[in-house]
Amino acid sequence: MATSIPPVAIPGQRLGSISTYSAGPGTHVQQSNIYASIAGPVVVDPAQPKTQTKSTLRVSRILPGTSPAAPSPASAAPTNQKPRYNTLPAVDSIVLARVTRVQKRQATVSILVVLDETSYSTTDPSKLASDNDNVASILTTAANPENHSSTDELRFQALIRKEDVRAVEKDRVVMDEMFRVGDIVRGSVLSLGDQSFYYLTTARNDLGVVMARSEAGNMMFPVSWKEMRDPVTGAGEQRKVARPY
Amino acid sequence: MMADRRRINGPPGGTRPAVFASNLQSGTSATDRAQRQRQPSELRKIFLKTGLIPTASGSSYLEFEPSASLAAARANPKSLIPPSSALKLACTVHGPKPLPRSAAFSPNLVLTTHVKYAPFAARQRKGHIRDSSERDLGVHLETALRGAIIAERWPKSGLDITITILEAEDDRWWGSAPDSHDASWGMMNVLAGCITAASAAIADAHIDCLDLVAGGVAAIVSDEPSGTSTGVPKLMLDTDPAEHRSILSACVVAYMPARDEITELWLKGDSSKASLEDGDTRTGHEALIDGAVDAARGAHTVLAEAVRESLLRTVGQA
Repeated sequence: MATSIPPVAIPGQRLGSISTYSAGPGTHVQQSNIYASIAGPVVVDPAQPKTQTKSTLRVSRILPGTSPAAPSPASAAPTNQKPRYNTLPAVDSIVLARVTRVQKRQATVSILVVLDETSYSTTDPSKLASDNDNVASILTTAANPENHSSTDELRFQALIRKEDVRAVEKDRVVMDEMFRVGDIVRGSVLSLGDQSFYYLTTARNDLGVVMARSEAGNMMFPVSWKEMRDPVTGAGEQRKVARPY
Repeated sequence: MMADRRRINGPPGGTRPAVFASNLQSGTSATDRAQRQRQPSELRKIFLKTGLIPTASGSSYLEFEPSASLAAARANPKSLIPPSSALKLACTVHGPKPLPRSAAFSPNLVLTTHVKYAPFAARQRKGHIRDSSERDLGVHLETALRGAIIAERWPKSGLDITITILEAEDDRWWGSAPDSHDASWGMMNVLAGCITAASAAIADAHIDCLDLVAGGVAAIVSDEPSGTSTGVPKLMLDTDPAEHRSILSACVVAYMPARDEITELWLKGDSSKASLEDGDTRTGHEALIDGAVDAARGAHTVLAEAVRESLLRTVGQA
């Protein structure tokens, strides 16, 4: 049965029966058959013995580095450009966002990139490093004040409310001591929110500011969970810092 | 029509050399008329390629094979005016992107379609502002695509589909005098091309859809002069209006072969006079719709091959 699965699929192509597989992302079910809904390589995720009984069929948005038959994470070299296709922020997805406005009760951010959940959840440190390499160029261009143009209109906007900044002492949060405009923040999506904003939270150790510039304009390094320091002037600034890897 | 005050407009009127009646009578005869060389159920060849516009999230370019009479006229030119034109269009897809601030919350993908003729696309020059026929095409295209896209997978986001028509189909042979069967028949071919091209561009942008939706045209035509008794109307697929003396009725469908579903249906004209084969009990418009579906099936094979080709190309590059 597994041999009948095509290596790549185009929308509307029949992939398998619902009785042998369960439908994953990039597929839809029509009359107890699984059909592809996007064009891409077909991936069969083996069944987890505890939770599922059937293997999951999905069509990948990420094109593999070598061949559609071998999407092993080890082959993803840092030099390899993986084209990422428009993934929308969903609840619980991890995003990188740039702070555009800091108010008393909330900070407004614009979402730069939605991190791939599968690569983010893996515990392999080398895999995480390569993922960071992939977004490094996005971060450096985004942290540069020259690039703060009107492209924000084309990005999804999100809010970090005061009570979602950290898990402890929520009532003592002062937003000015947590974020500054231009910071790059790693956050988790709480909800799709209203018509214009998603809601993000940074109330976890691994969430918070990942890149920031000091008042002198230098990139700062983190020294504690609430302080970053300028390597040139030595001055410290307060931030809600994400735990570095 | 609203005057366009913001741009320098070209001169109104035609985009091709003027045709004078005296010239028409002496220089060209009925034999110069474009003739259909294909079988009634034979489609024109389609060129379709995706991913040509790097700044868009998805794009496609579509071209129909020019009529055989055009090649003949190029080899042996008698007139400055090409006897027929073939469809050429480009489609871009932008998005999914956030909805504008003023828009209300939408749990689904919000689809916007724009169809625009280039000023030089038709024999009559088009303005820079979209006119009513272009808006009409946009609405038809939106209906066709809305049934194919899985909109609930993209909440709070919008998708803009823009089609630029570089060369449009003629509504009739350029030398014919206007008659009672005239309608915008060329527009129906344009819509079929728009549907096929937009479907390829959406697949290129990796937007979830149920199937690749393809457009097809069928028409009931009568090629003989109306006085003769042999001029019984016939059903033809993928008609080029310039190749026929008069089109009685035509039909466009947007069709998804994997599900056998029609998402858009547009019938025009009088389909009651069609002469079908003996034993065929279908009514004229049933036969017309079936013919259009057959044409769409043909276009779907090209569409599927174009999408597969671009997929294999990117897989090979990555």
